[in-house]
Amino acid sequence: MFSFRGCGRWVAASLTKQHHPSSRFSGDSAAPWTPHFDVVVIGGGHAGTEAAAAAARCGSRTLLLTHRVDTIGQMSCNPSFGGIGKGHLMREVDALDGLCSRICDQSGVHYKVLNRRKGPAVWGLRAQIDRKLYKQNMQKEILNTPLLTVREGAVEDLILTEPEPEHTGKYRVSGVVLGDGSTVYAESVVLTTGTFLRGMIVIGLEMHPAGRLGDQPSIGLAQTLEKLGFVVGRLKTGTPPRIAKESINFSILNKQTPDNPSIPFSFINETVWIKPEDQLPCYLTHTNPQVDEIVLENLHLNCHVKESTRGPRYCPSIESKVLRFPNRLHQVWLEPEGMDSDLIYPQGLSVTLPADLQEKMITCIRGLEKAKMIQPGYGVQYDYLDPRQITPSLETHLVQRLFFAGQINGTTGYEEAAAQGVIAGINASLRVRHKPPFVISRTEGYIGVLIDDLTTLGTSEPYRMFTSRAEFRLSLRPDNADSRLTFRGYKEAGCVSQQRYERATWMKSSLEEGISVLKSIEFPSSKWKNLIPEASISIGRSLPLRALDVLKYEEVDTELLAKAVPEPLKKYTKCRELAERLKIEATYESVLFHQQQEIKEVQRDEALQLPKDLDYLTLRDVSLSCEVREKLHFSRPQTIGAASRIPGVTPAAIINLLRFVKSTQQRQAALDSLPKTDQHLCNTDKLEDRQL
Amino acid sequence: MWRGLWTLVARAARGPRRPYTRQGSGAPAPSSGATVFALSSGQGRCGIAVIRTSGPASGQALRSLTAPRDLPPARKACLRLLSDPRSGEPLDRALVLWFPGPQSFTGEDCAEFHVHGGPAVVSGVLQALGSVPGLRPAEAGEFTRRAFAHGKLSLTEVEGLADLIHAETEAQRRQALRQLDGELNHLCRGWAETLTKALAHVEAYIDFGEDDNLEEGVLDQADSEVRELEVALGAHLRDARRGQRLRSGAHAVVVGPPNAGKSSLVNLLSRKPVSIVSPEPGTTRDVLETPVDLAGFPVLLSDTAGLREGVGPVEQEGVRRAQKRLEQADLILAVLDASDLASPSSCNFLDTVVIPAGAGSPNGSNQRLLLVLNKSDLLPAGGPDPSPDLPPHLLLSCLTGDGLDGLLEALRKELAALCGDPSTDPPLLTRARHQHHLQGCLDALGHYKQAKDLALAAEALRVARGHLTRITGGGGAEEILDIIFRDFCVGK
Repeated sequence: MFSFRGCGRWVAASLTKQHHPSSRFSGDSAAPWTPHFDVVVIGGGHAGTEAAAAAARCGSRTLLLTHRVDTIGQMSCNPSFGGIGKGHLMREVDALDGLCSRICDQSGVHYKVLNRRKGPAVWGLRAQIDRKLYKQNMQKEILNTPLLTVREGAVEDLILTEPEPEHTGKYRVSGVVLGDGSTVYAESVVLTTGTFLRGMIVIGLEMHPAGRLGDQPSIGLAQTLEKLGFVVGRLKTGTPPRIAKESINFSILNKQTPDNPSIPFSFINETVWIKPEDQLPCYLTHTNPQVDEIVLENLHLNCHVKESTRGPRYCPSIESKVLRFPNRLHQVWLEPEGMDSDLIYPQGLSVTLPADLQEKMITCIRGLEKAKMIQPGYGVQYDYLDPRQITPSLETHLVQRLFFAGQINGTTGYEEAAAQGVIAGINASLRVRHKPPFVISRTEGYIGVLIDDLTTLGTSEPYRMFTSRAEFRLSLRPDNADSRLTFRGYKEAGCVSQQRYERATWMKSSLEEGISVLKSIEFPSSKWKNLIPEASISIGRSLPLRALDVLKYEEVDTELLAKAVPEPLKKYTKCRELAERLKIEATYESVLFHQQQEIKEVQRDEALQLPKDLDYLTLRDVSLSCEVREKLHFSRPQTIGAASRIPGVTPAAIINLLRFVKSTQQRQAALDSLPKTDQHLCNTDKLEDRQL
Repeated sequence: MWRGLWTLVARAARGPRRPYTRQGSGAPAPSSGATVFALSSGQGRCGIAVIRTSGPASGQALRSLTAPRDLPPARKACLRLLSDPRSGEPLDRALVLWFPGPQSFTGEDCAEFHVHGGPAVVSGVLQALGSVPGLRPAEAGEFTRRAFAHGKLSLTEVEGLADLIHAETEAQRRQALRQLDGELNHLCRGWAETLTKALAHVEAYIDFGEDDNLEEGVLDQADSEVRELEVALGAHLRDARRGQRLRSGAHAVVVGPPNAGKSSLVNLLSRKPVSIVSPEPGTTRDVLETPVDLAGFPVLLSDTAGLREGVGPVEQEGVRRAQKRLEQADLILAVLDASDLASPSSCNFLDTVVIPAGAGSPNGSNQRLLLVLNKSDLLPAGGPDPSPDLPPHLLLSCLTGDGLDGLLEALRKELAALCGDPSTDPPLLTRARHQHHLQGCLDALGHYKQAKDLALAAEALRVARGHLTRITGGGGAEEILDIIFRDFCVGK
């Protein structure tokens, strides 16, 4: 392990061979011992861990900088992962070999798939997670990731240099300055500071600076970003109080039991670490008019509620629920915090009243009459950076090689953060290796929807994923995330392990084979009715039915079908996942055919790239209104498709942009046909730049 | 790579409120796979009307309408009997042409039907085409866009396309305003609202239903709303034939300050006393419409109340209606009193109506304006032009008829440009489009009822809503979320 001047604790380094950083700086006598990494990730939350691990998986020597190593993988709010829309994101993170799904399969205490009765496209994988286990498992994973080093330290500033001429941006980041004054150089920097940018914690009328209860906020960094010209906004969120488990009377409450069998989050796991019978239950209780009364009588003691800062509509505090929907009973889920935790998390009771009133409020709820509050709920207000200032690869327009991921971009939720983390880590690494960015389109995944919404539309409240945001919802399902993303991750980013790639390949070819076999088996409907009397097949139909059509019936699954036609279908029932996925493909087959056409249309638009260095404000060859110019200038869409989604960009402007793109392409084609020597010249230029 | 062009233009055209719109699989979103048809010979009075199709099903369309049912030789005019493929009812004897792609105007398979120009025949053929599977009415300018997409237009021509699309979007907006004025507009908006709400509730049930306390019966309510909508749409579609009055022709509106002689001009042009004329300002209170034939073009001429402020409530309503009609007009006849140009009402009218519209030339919205200075008989005979600083204008005396020939000639030019412009959607086609989308909506509602899988059911509602919002505008995903958070206390 290295030892550096006056620096903090180096916790872990990769187990593989170290490249000695100083060798790259042999000519630089001023700072012979300054560490140098390919990628530096700031923040050890859900975005930071995914970003650091992804960059390392892609082959970059990566440093994860965090305030405290023992908070890596901390779940600072709810003790659960997944849900509707969020579960989709986790499957996609997993398809790119990300961490959170695998860690959840090792750390859950209550696994339950939501929306089971509503169609597989909207199933929501979800689990209550043991906070301690999650943190332990995540730290084990992070501290054992090859090429990944972890160090404690607070980042106070960014080191900036002249921008690379072949890319847009006013500056280029080349490292960070830590709280103790030491520096770390990096080829790319990923910022995942969560709510730490000028974070402020609010309980009742008290406010004090903190990123999370017990942690310091980052103020120096916030100032640097603002000075650079980033547009900053302010958001708020909150968390409920924690209650002592043994003080709750569960016997009078509704109990919710986990699924049996448990469905794992990760494609590479057949099962989760714990048997269903060993898992913990959740309990349901409700608020009542007394709770409303306490909230309404004490609004004057509650500055978080009065603030104009935007909070999430879908994760409302009990105060906003009472104010917006008075005279109703609101649900409170009592969720376990872990196997051996004596805390209960009352989901739905997010509150910022003074602590004594919180306690009073809790004890008027059924089952909580004698409840002991261990930690009060609190609100957090924090800075976020308008996400229209980043590209779909999450690099900032303003500072080259600087990437933002997670709550800093205005999102909320572990899963949303993790999804951005993977993409930022991959792209930070690709950028170092001069490879094209890895961008997921909104036709390919919820990650694409998330990032496209953020980068083209921005957000004015903490952004959360919903399935209703995805226009191709029937195609972007939890079951098929691997066939959508694993191959791209393997080939384009190099972030996917060989083992996972091979598994996805096997699954894809088995599915394709299975579907074509199901299409090839045709019988008259009367014969099907005889074979499968359970199915509500109408016999009146004259046309023969394919096995695939029979599988569409709600009451038919692959097992039942294989019993009716054992040859050649029997082999498709051997793998539970394959059998289930065949059934899902059959359910959506007819609609998916149409949806594929539409997806192709959108992808064609996405293929029309806009030059990155366009100065829309002064561009003379294109006739655009001032309003449109300003909108394009701020959001900097990368494709014609993205430009067309920006509100206020007119069809005529799109046509003009198209014309511009086409003539630029023609010029480019003419340039490309020039003799190769020009290319060499460019390369030498780059080399000289570096030596300087 | 240019084939996706229409999609993105259409998406942008759908307006600023929708960041991105889901157009369902039911095909409201024009894709390269769809075949479109349109009346491409404008709406002037003509002996022959040309109806065109473009897209892969063009051949199929030709075969299903004509007898004998074989395709004519490529690019050769043939005489065929056209009949409705559903009823077999004969429609017309017509010349048909077959242009297999890529050697066609759009680069796709195209067919042309040269039919006898009467509204009944044209309407019959358009409806027959609409019944062929895979065919739908073209959006404004879609033929040109398809030609662009297939590289049939040069870069210089593309430059013009941007203007064309701008103009067409405007023309379409005006057309929609006109067509959707009144009952149908009201109905469509109501339906779209109901459907959006039903969809929002189904989406809420998907995104929040499980462990949030959505009120009981959210889905049942959506079901019953969809059922009611289905009944209403079905009834409307069966009823549509006699419901709408078609208003053919260019819409010309006569506007000006009070007592400029607007009604006199209307009476002069229509050769009959349509409007009461008196020396008293504010005589005309309501919008009076009269269909006239001007220089051979069908025109719907509207007389309006004089534009002024601070008068009684009845006249104010007249002024409001006049202004609304002004927005919808293709051609504005702006009338001023030549002897009273310096008065505040004249100056105000010049500043607010004439100058913004850009007299004498088509302005940004493609509206045309002719500035007429009436009461030239009150000017000193043989004197100089009373107003050299005004935009281009015509002098007229409704009293003596002096200047009428010049006005008619100017009108002829403007109307020729307006009616000859194939981008102006004839009402027949607008109606066909409405019916297409209403039918599409109704079909999708049927799929909603059948779907057992809730994700599929929601998809059907998304498709249905996509069809309705093609008529009414709006329809983003944010709208759905707004309703969800307004109606339900969800989230924890």
